Amino acid sequence: MRNSLWGALAAGVAASFFGFTAIAADTVKIGLIAEITGPNAEAGNYTLNGAKLAVDDINRKGGILGKQVELVIEDNQSTNPGTVLAFSKLGGNKDIPAIIGPIRSTQTQAASPSIAKLGIPTMIGGSDPSLTKVNNRWLFRCRPSDLYSSRVIANFGVNKLKLKKWVIVHSTDAFGAGGAKALAEALKEYGVEPVLVQGYTNNSQDFTPVVLAIKKSGADVIGSYMTNSQDVGIFAKQLRQLGVTTTWIGSASIVTDTAMKLAGDSLHNTYGIADFNPDANPAARSYAAAYRARYKLEPDVYSSWAFDAMNVIATALNTAKSTQAEDIRKAIVGIKGWKGVEGTYNFDDNGDGLRGYNIVKNEAGKVTFVEHIDFNK
Amino acid sequence: MEALANNFQVLFQGLALGSIYALVALGFVLIIRATNVVNFAQGDFAMLGAYMMVAFLVGAGLPYWLSFLLALAAMGVFGLIFNYGVYYPLRHRGFLPVIISTLGASIFLQNSVLAIFGAQPKRLDNVIQGGIQIGSVFLDSQYLVILAVTMVMVAFQYFFFEHTLLGKKLQATSQDKDMARLLGIPVALMIAITFIYSSMLGGLAGVLVGPVLFVSIGMGSIIALKAFAATIIGGFGDVKGAIVGGIFIGVVESFAAYYISVPYKDAYAFLMLFLVLVFRPQGFFGERVSEKA
Repeated sequence: MRNSLWGALAAGVAASFFGFTAIAADTVKIGLIAEITGPNAEAGNYTLNGAKLAVDDINRKGGILGKQVELVIEDNQSTNPGTVLAFSKLGGNKDIPAIIGPIRSTQTQAASPSIAKLGIPTMIGGSDPSLTKVNNRWLFRCRPSDLYSSRVIANFGVNKLKLKKWVIVHSTDAFGAGGAKALAEALKEYGVEPVLVQGYTNNSQDFTPVVLAIKKSGADVIGSYMTNSQDVGIFAKQLRQLGVTTTWIGSASIVTDTAMKLAGDSLHNTYGIADFNPDANPAARSYAAAYRARYKLEPDVYSSWAFDAMNVIATALNTAKSTQAEDIRKAIVGIKGWKGVEGTYNFDDNGDGLRGYNIVKNEAGKVTFVEHIDFNK
Repeated sequence: MEALANNFQVLFQGLALGSIYALVALGFVLIIRATNVVNFAQGDFAMLGAYMMVAFLVGAGLPYWLSFLLALAAMGVFGLIFNYGVYYPLRHRGFLPVIISTLGASIFLQNSVLAIFGAQPKRLDNVIQGGIQIGSVFLDSQYLVILAVTMVMVAFQYFFFEHTLLGKKLQATSQDKDMARLLGIPVALMIAITFIYSSMLGGLAGVLVGPVLFVSIGMGSIIALKAFAATIIGGFGDVKGAIVGGIFIGVVESFAAYYISVPYKDAYAFLMLFLVLVFRPQGFFGERVSEKA
């Protein structure tokens, strides 16, 4: 302890002696893979916003290891091959100690083998539970996994709303299929068997067959795992047009700014789970204020997770006092009780940081905080 | 009774989406006939048209019909630019360079729109709010408008190509350029007019479908893929075929999704394509290659 303190002091003194500008120009480069082009470009844009806000914050507070932070941004074109390519580009740059990876499960899955090979600590936002259980030590999830989202949805629907006749609507990609499976399992714990599990492919133009199937099932609650906000918008509109007024508890996409703008009153009175809500905790409140002031936009999960991911990286690097992958991993796994905007982080050996979700409600187009449900394991 | 109502609902949705495929497919076919190339930016014409509508209606706050006319006019101008920028310089270079050029244009268009309008999808309101409720069946007003406009366009198309001099000149150009040139028809101008018309047609499809699918960068590519399948199913380069093929795909995928499985919805269009290619390679209305000579 004493030694490292002296070491740091000595380094500081040396730095101020031997040309401060040279040190300042030398930055810590953090990779960021985002959906800058392609069908999910809106989300990618928010991710950039969140990460940039975090970087400026960190830089104002002295940066990482005394150096300013610089983002190295790679576009993944909203595709899996694009993500793999983006990783190999960033992986080729030896100056990058850590990467903020994709928020999509399917992209994470595609890139996971290359990340394992590269051995660079990578923050991910994909919520498919299996992502952190595939023998890849370098993935760290800065969002709660669907294991928890599904348990929160089931808990809230069955215990709070007392609804027992469930239908599950899900996108057929890794995120949607994983979520649907987890929700069915979570419901089983409450002795509930869904009356209908209905998949659809992303970018569906017409949800009429889905809506008719829901109508026929006579369900009293819809649990949904839908990937794209635009699909949520179309589905919501058609659901209400065809006279289905069933209670609806959806995964995060149901309360995104985009879905709510597109669907308008079709989404009123629906519930969503949100890892991020601006009113959930003090850190979230101050983040939301800063985000609104800077971008004139409502903050959502696409930006907040990147904000947390960047801060987790900064915290880990500063704790590790190193840019070596093994040291960073040790520091991240050691993060306990760290308060981010999405909740309190307690990383486990698998690399999962969060274990709870907020339940929120769409009240006449405004997302209101209902409650936070946390699980211990 | 309920089964009947559900079937009717499914048919209605299929017809409406099929009409959109048909309008875009029509644009495909007109350009194929005039230039012998597939325009891979045809779907982006629809996307661009919808964004023009957003710009005039939501952005500039103009009344609906004025925005509509301005959007179509802008698409006309765009078609002309497209003709001279994408097709004309490569017209003597054959099939492949032009196709690559349209592909490039598609990427360019999507990213330009992204840069100008941002990534967030936009909302367009229905021409007429609400819809018609018959028992448990709901007919969305926008879908009704789509059906009506498509019918009008098909009638217009027929009248224009069969009963006007300009239409006949366009037909002559598509049938035999050298002969048309010998007869004093300005072929380059005719092709430019084809691009203008196809661009407006695509734009129209985009404006119509915007309130249903929302206006996003990717909206054109999804429609174009089905529309392209429609042109092949209908008979490559056949006008009637494009319309029938588009509506056929819309209805088949709608029913197949309802009766068989929703997740495979996109596959049915291509399954149809496959079956048609195996059992009737020339499409519904196409001529056999041997008969073409």
